[in-house]
Amino acid sequence: MFMPVATQASLKGLTPKQLEDTSCRLCLNNTYHLGLKPGQKTLDAIGGAHRLQSWPHNILTDSGGFQMVSLLKLSRVTEDGVRFLSPHDGSPMLLTPEHSISLQNSIGSDIIMQLDDVIATTSPDHERIKEAMYRSVRWLDRCIAAHEKPESQNLFCIIQGGLDLELRKECCAEMVARDTHGIAIGGLSGGEAKDAFCKVVGTCTQLLPERKPRYVMGVGYPEDILVCVALGADMFDCVWPTRTARFGNAVTVDGVFNLRHANYAYDFRPVEEGCKCTCCRPQEEGGLGITRAYIHHVAAKETAGAHLLSMHNVHYLLELMRKAREAIVEERYPAFLKEYFLKLYAGDKEKYPQWAVDALKGVGIDLLSV
Amino acid sequence: MGSTDAVAAVQVANLPSEMFSIIKTSGTIGPRLGCLRLAGRQVLETPHFLAITSRGVVPHITQDSFAGATGISGVPPDGSSPLRRFIALPEPTLLVLGARRTPPVFAPSANPNTNTSVSICTSVGFRPMKAADYAEGVERLQPDIVVGLGDIPYGRALGAKRIEKATDRNIEWLQSHVKARNDAKAPKGSRSKLFASLPPVSCANQQYYIDTLTQDVAKDVDGLAVYDMVSLEDLPEQLRHLPKLAFTEPSTPHEILRQISLGIDVLTIPFLTAATDAGIALDFTFPANSSEQEAQPKILGVDMWLEDHATSLQPLVDGCKCYACTNHHRAYVQHLLNAKEMLAWVLLQIHNHHTLDLFFAGIRQTLRNGSFEDNVERFAKVYETLLPEKTGQGPRVRGYQYKSEGPGEPKKNAAPFQTFDDKKEKLAESTPPSAEAGAAELEELGFAEKQT
Repeated sequence: MFMPVATQASLKGLTPKQLEDTSCRLCLNNTYHLGLKPGQKTLDAIGGAHRLQSWPHNILTDSGGFQMVSLLKLSRVTEDGVRFLSPHDGSPMLLTPEHSISLQNSIGSDIIMQLDDVIATTSPDHERIKEAMYRSVRWLDRCIAAHEKPESQNLFCIIQGGLDLELRKECCAEMVARDTHGIAIGGLSGGEAKDAFCKVVGTCTQLLPERKPRYVMGVGYPEDILVCVALGADMFDCVWPTRTARFGNAVTVDGVFNLRHANYAYDFRPVEEGCKCTCCRPQEEGGLGITRAYIHHVAAKETAGAHLLSMHNVHYLLELMRKAREAIVEERYPAFLKEYFLKLYAGDKEKYPQWAVDALKGVGIDLLSV
Repeated sequence: MGSTDAVAAVQVANLPSEMFSIIKTSGTIGPRLGCLRLAGRQVLETPHFLAITSRGVVPHITQDSFAGATGISGVPPDGSSPLRRFIALPEPTLLVLGARRTPPVFAPSANPNTNTSVSICTSVGFRPMKAADYAEGVERLQPDIVVGLGDIPYGRALGAKRIEKATDRNIEWLQSHVKARNDAKAPKGSRSKLFASLPPVSCANQQYYIDTLTQDVAKDVDGLAVYDMVSLEDLPEQLRHLPKLAFTEPSTPHEILRQISLGIDVLTIPFLTAATDAGIALDFTFPANSSEQEAQPKILGVDMWLEDHATSLQPLVDGCKCYACTNHHRAYVQHLLNAKEMLAWVLLQIHNHHTLDLFFAGIRQTLRNGSFEDNVERFAKVYETLLPEKTGQGPRVRGYQYKSEGPGEPKKNAAPFQTFDDKKEKLAESTPPSAEAGAAELEELGFAEKQT
């Protein structure tokens, strides 16, 4: 399953109705952003994020820990929590596991995440990575204790441990013992090598219980997602489809195209041929029949251009996941993967990324065989 | 297509079979109830307004929201207009194509127009567009209504010489356009209607052009595009029956009412999108909806930026039936504006268009039952004269939304966020170190960090 990211309680210009039309039923909100705007008091007064954005379906919120690392240069992690400077007035603030859970309780999201100690996987400081892993486990205990609505909100733990497989294994054992509703594999997709990334995902999934959802955080490129599915992961999120849409990039079965390129000025084919999203579907079938030339004409010039491409890109990923589920049910996922890579690289197996070939070989799928 | 401004409109009714018919009017210069009927489109009762589009979309509103939120259901396309298909405009909606935006971006040079071309703002700066190319292009694109190219000098006072020149050009351009249309011999029913542009001076001041309109091309012109109300003051009898489409940039609802009472049939209303961008939800009805005279005049719109709305679960405007008001509340719009999320302007734009839709329906209703004048007077008493001041920020401005003032101008959009980078600040404040400065000194100034 793929979850589009509605950072500040709106999916970048789409109305909840349009988001629903892409077949999305679970989207992400960011605790850090909602905690700053509109703030916990407002959320309590309104009655949570579902009411705030009139979204009748599911919401997952992250813990706010990742934003501390990605957005704020001057954050420091201590045993209490994450110390940072407020982006509004520069005053020092502290985000503890208790704060994070309390905020997520106010948001009322259906799935909430523990606060974890996130550090870049590329960090050379092994001691720090180790410390972060153990701290994340301790913080999980504090999160479980602070969680006020376990009956309505599902808490997920987050496996840490950098690229060290032994640490990851240890973390898995500790976290699984605490029996949360679901399990996330965190701290990845921060610029590490793809094969190392796959090894971590593969190692963790082998140790996790069969009947709990496994969520790989921040993974969004279609190839990465499909490989992770083969490795046994279930849930993914990323801002990439909507962000790249704002730059005029269309995600399709044949790869990613920047429609702002002059090549597309007179290309009157739909954004993706055969796509069933509202944007691409021909007018005869009740869609808009938007052409590449039209996106070229409005991309980065009118907000509606970004909205149209966001609709397409989100639909593309959700549809890709639907097909993947179908293939799994029909027990032909390896064939589905081969077909996908063949199309993406236009039949040129030389171009297949080595990490994907290797990772899939590890689970018995030979991408290069016919 | 550069900055070609297409304009589109919405609405219902059914009456006579001519393209434009006047149902009710009071005297020679006065408000009138009419009906604009074009093959394949919903009948447009007038007075009415056209939503202004930019690059084929109503700003912020994607085409599926346009169809959904404004209550038009999709109809199979007949493929008649390539432009309609390109911009994915629903079939029932009227499509009007003109050469310049409303309001236009003023051209930088003193004399942007020549005898054969006008200057238009494109995505790569101002470019001349030949009158002949325009005439050919619009006929191929087949909108429902084409606004003939006019030499309309925007934004500067007009001397007698300039008016004379404009008159000559307008005659020449209109006649060639009409000739090209007649030579093409398209079946009469299937082609666009031609509206002639009326330069923003009185008719007496452009007598030769008016003569052309009333004599040479009288049968070939289907309507008038008006750029200033002054041209209507002495409009000759022979042109009065034509539908009048105004590009007059009214700034308030009061001004809309005044222009309608002077005989305008269809308006374009730039303050609509301006209010949306300013974060203002329009809130006025016609007839004015208040039982008795209130002490304070009512405001024309609600500023959604105000903190008071942060926890308000009320709709933008009480009782409003638009998509934004029935599905969302003030708290959400306030949050979206505050977080600079694009959806804020989407919702406001839907609401504001709905408000104007009802406003015009009210105007037509009072024209029908004869209470228009009384209600205009009451409207002026009940409501404030101006729209609320803009307090918050709008969306990021794009190229055509401001006039470049030359080199060295400040940035139009503030950077969305800054990083906490004290080194950089230190660097900016410090004086450059001398050439022989040591490592310690450099580090102190924030130039580099000493590796250990």
